[in-house]
Parts: sequence; C-alpha cells; structure tokens
Amino acid sequence: MNGIHDLGGMHGFGPVVQEENEPVFHEDWERHAFAVLNLTMAAGQYTVDELRHSIERMPPAQYLETLYYEHWLHAAEDLLDKKKVVTREELERRIAEMAPKEKK
Amino acid sequence: MKHADTHTEPPAGPALRVKALESLLVEKGLIDPGAVDEIIDLFEHRIGPRNGAKVVAHAWADPDYKRRLLQNGTAAIAELGFTGLQGEDMVVLENTPRIYNVVVCTLCSCYPWPTLGLPPNWYKAAPYRARVVIEPRKVLAEFGVEVPADAEVRVWDSNAEIRYMVLPLRPAGTEGWSEDRLAALVTRNSMIGTGVPKVTA
Amino acid sequence: MPALPKDMVRTAIQAGASARAPVTTPPRFRAGETVRARNINPVGHTRLPRYVRGKRGVVQVNHGGFAFADTRAHELGDQPQHLYSVRFEARELWGNDASLRDAVYIDLWESYIEPAV
Repeated sequence: MNGIHDLGGMHGFGPVVQEENEPVFHEDWERHAFAVLNLTMAAGQYTVDELRHSIERMPPAQYLETLYYEHWLHAAEDLLDKKKVVTREELERRIAEMAPKEKK
Repeated sequence: MKHADTHTEPPAGPALRVKALESLLVEKGLIDPGAVDEIIDLFEHRIGPRNGAKVVAHAWADPDYKRRLLQNGTAAIAELGFTGLQGEDMVVLENTPRIYNVVVCTLCSCYPWPTLGLPPNWYKAAPYRARVVIEPRKVLAEFGVEVPADAEVRVWDSNAEIRYMVLPLRPAGTEGWSEDRLAALVTRNSMIGTGVPKVTA
Repeated sequence: MPALPKDMVRTAIQAGASARAPVTTPPRFRAGETVRARNINPVGHTRLPRYVRGKRGVVQVNHGGFAFADTRAHELGDQPQHLYSVRFEARELWGNDASLRDAVYIDLWESYIEPAV
C-alpha cells in the first residue's frame, strides 16, 4: 500500500539523531513487546509479513508519533484480535482489571 | 462492576497494554513465561555488534575468509557461529576507497540481527529512512563520514529478506594485529556504513 | 503450533526462518539486463517502494527463489518468485541534481519488474 511507512525520498524529517550509548531497550515494556511479538510469531500465530502490513495500516499520524515498539504492540493486538486468539474485548477487560485503582 | 470512565481516561499506555496482553497469552498457554525472559536476555546481552566485529576482523586477517565472505555471506558468517533470525540470507558489501556502501530499510527496520543485534532507534526512525536513499552524502557527512567526490555511494535498501552488512576498510597501521585487537576497532556504525572503524592511536 | 518453550528459544533463534523457496520456472531476467520497476499501486502489502516504481535499473544478480511477501502478508501462501538485486542510478531516481556516481540497490521479486523498452 502507498502508506506512510513508504518513506524513501520524503523531505521534511530533519536530522538523524543518534543517542549516545543507546541501550538495546529503553523501558521494560519494550523488552516484553519484543518478546511477545517474537514468541507469538514463533508459535505460528502470524508471519513477519502480516506484522509489517499491520503496522503499515496504522493511522499515519499515529505511525509517525509513536515509539517503535508501540508499532509492534499495535500489530500484536491487531493480529491476535483478527485471528480471535486474544480479542479486543478480552484485552480491554484485562487492562481495566490491571489498571492502577483511582484515588477517591 | 468497576470500569474506567472512558470519557475522561486516556487509553492505557503501552506498559499496561503489554502487561495485559502477555498475561492473557501466558494464561492461554500461547507463550512460555520462561521463554520471554530467555529471548530478552539473548538479545539484550548475548547477540550484538561484537559478533559482526569478529566477522570483520577475521576477514581482515584472513584473505581467503574474506573471499568466502564476499562470495557467500551466509555460509562464511555461519563458520563463526552466527546464524539465524533476520540473518538467514546475508550479503556482505566490501567498502573500498572508491565505494562507500550504506544499508537502510526504508519501509520498516530490517537489519541483520545475528551479526549486529537489534538496530538503534535512528536506523528505524523516519529521518534516516527517508533521507539516506535520496541524499546519502549529506546523511553520511552528518555521521562524520566524508565521501570523496570521485567515490561512489551505494545505498542498499533491505526491502526483501536479504540482510546486508558492510565490510569496512581496514585501518592503516594494523598489519600483524591479532583478531581481538582488530575487532576492537570495528564500530557498529561501520558495519551499517554510517561510520568508519576507529583509527589506531 | 504450541508455545515455544524456554529451552528451545536459543535453537529457534539460531535456526531462524529463511524465506528461500524453490521456484520451478526459469528466471525471466539475467544479470546485466536493463529492467523497469512496474508502476503498481496495490492497496495491500507490497515491498516495492514508490521511489523506484517506473524507474529503469540494471539487474545485478538473481538471489534465488524467495517466498513472496505480498501474498504471505494476506495469508495467500508463499508463491515463491525469483528475487533480483537491481541497481538504480541516483539520477534516474531523483533527477539531474542528484550525484552522478551514486546508486540505490534494491531487491525486487520478478513480478515487480518488466523488460525496459
């Protein structure tokens, strides 16, 4: 698809910014996003091509403004729901259960 | 039943979402929690650019290995024990004084994991992916690599499943060095093509 | 497929999952041949970037047969094709302000290219 991901030759993106001594993972959730995605792929839930295409279908602004591993998380949620392995409803319910309780 | 007030609550951030997703996958027996820790450890601590540096150092030290490496990257890299995911089909690109190779994945973030580990953020982000195919000399200059006017820049877009790695030029003054010493000169960026090996003192 | 157990992780990572697959038809293009990247604009998954479409390049090498990403992404199977490394001159891609010497190399499945006339 002629999506936002097809960036080759585009203008306006500014300098390439390198981080000094960049760690492999910046946050613990990134570690787990990496693991979840690769292990579900290894278990045959989807191919790397399906993963890439799911990311390509993110809304363009969201694609550009989110962190790299948020793309992976988006794809995992999208594909697992599509394949009825973990539905959106199940996931949202679990998120609500695990969310920190509001102060009264 | 408690539930979040969806009119005022922002969507859950990635940390909470990953935690929830992982917990469901574990409960359903679809991922092994021990495997989660193992794969994280593998890529955070055991697979990284020091692998690629060994390949480069060996090629510098052994002309016959270098020939094999350029002829069949996958097989030669496998001789040193580096194989597998996102490196199953490798091509190694030799830099010369007249040819500067640089690797990108304009469409996403494809990168040779067995030799270089996981890519840095700049490689995966829009500026590099957009610019290096259209203005490689400017991008390389920003990385501190000045390309002579009479040299040629070759930008390799890893859009399929071939994974590319640059064999950088061996620095002068390193004749007779051990492979360990040579490997210490090889930077990650020099194997992407956006840097050169460290110079000798 | 079952969950990958902890003690199989390292083996699985070291084995990987190559996309190489045999193609029974002979290759349509040869090294040294000038080809044109087709002007296709599929709404589904493709690995043919827009900056190359319609441009002329020279085949460098046939990498061999590989599963086709465009079909795999839509659960339509591997449908392997010959995969070619093709060189595009910078000026061909970006116009005459581009460097005279530089080039982009990209890997194109056979259905992405056509003979250049």
